[in-house]
Amino acid sequence: MKEMKALDPNFVPIAILLFGIFAGSLGAMLGLGGGVLMIIFLILALNIPAHQAVALSLIAVIASSSMAGSVYIKDRMTNLKLAMILEAFTVSGAVAGAFLALSLPVSAIQAILGCVLFYTSITMFKERKDECSGYAGNGSLDGEFYDEQACKTVRYKVKNLGLGALASLIAGAVSGMVGIGGGVIKVPIMNIVMKIPIKAAAATSNFMVGVTAAASAVIYFQSGLVDLRLSAPTILGIMVGAYFGTRLLARSRSIVLRKALAMVLAFFGTILMLKAGGLLAW
Amino acid sequence: MVNVEDLISWVLRTGVLSGVAITTTGFFMSTEIAWLGVLVLILTPFMRVIMAGIYFLSRKDMVYSALAAYVIMILVIGSFLRII
Repeated sequence: MKEMKALDPNFVPIAILLFGIFAGSLGAMLGLGGGVLMIIFLILALNIPAHQAVALSLIAVIASSSMAGSVYIKDRMTNLKLAMILEAFTVSGAVAGAFLALSLPVSAIQAILGCVLFYTSITMFKERKDECSGYAGNGSLDGEFYDEQACKTVRYKVKNLGLGALASLIAGAVSGMVGIGGGVIKVPIMNIVMKIPIKAAAATSNFMVGVTAAASAVIYFQSGLVDLRLSAPTILGIMVGAYFGTRLLARSRSIVLRKALAMVLAFFGTILMLKAGGLLAW
Repeated sequence: MVNVEDLISWVLRTGVLSGVAITTTGFFMSTEIAWLGVLVLILTPFMRVIMAGIYFLSRKDMVYSALAAYVIMILVIGSFLRII
């Protein structure tokens, strides 16, 4: 393996800031947390060790999801009670995931991340459908929100809470291991299995992402794995990007862009798995 | 009377913006300040869990108060566990 040349100390923060803006805006446009793209960049382009990369990504995920969460709950899109039930599971998973990750070698983290990228890629190829689940009953978990595009109040019943809890536990563990938000696991389950309309599912999932990432981030933080110099450019990049991405969202519903990015994720998923198996010296 | 939703929204926004501001200041000044900023960011989601917990406690809704308490407990346990 060739030795890396010593980089200009200012190069890495600037590169992270610029890529963060790109990743954050693309992520917001495609309904994907910026974490997935950021972590690929940190590991494969900047050669940052996997555990440090996961820790940086988690901090950025806390910032961007809390910022979006603040808007969603103000607009009453979030199902607060459902979030409180599911986050007990996702937080438990996050702590377990962070522990597991810290006892695993770097190659295992790369292999798991590779699998997550493949899974994300598959969900992006599928179309999201939004079906109404009928009217709400008297259950305390049933929710409603005002859909601005459809100009009506949507009411829904929450079903299959047990499966939702299981999915949240798994999403939390994956989040703690590879530093992504985990919305890619929760949102499809909440939508398809729990019969929650996609907008409420995305808002409620996003609301839980902040606390999930925080639960595992605190363990990485205590273990001294959060790079304090690189934190600011990572967070700023993702947040500025997400700000612009959200504004571009209405104009871009491009299926081509979505599928192109799905292929990019599958490509890097393959790279990471080959790298983990020692078959490729990137 | 403040709504719990508006209160949570305010806690999240204020926490993130101050955390980002402190971390960025730390980038130019010192890692100790950056450390504080990252800590503020990590604590922000837990502040909103505490807020929600207090709200449900005031409504004598014990199930949701207990769920909030459980999540806080997990954070406290996690913050005492250090690896390496």
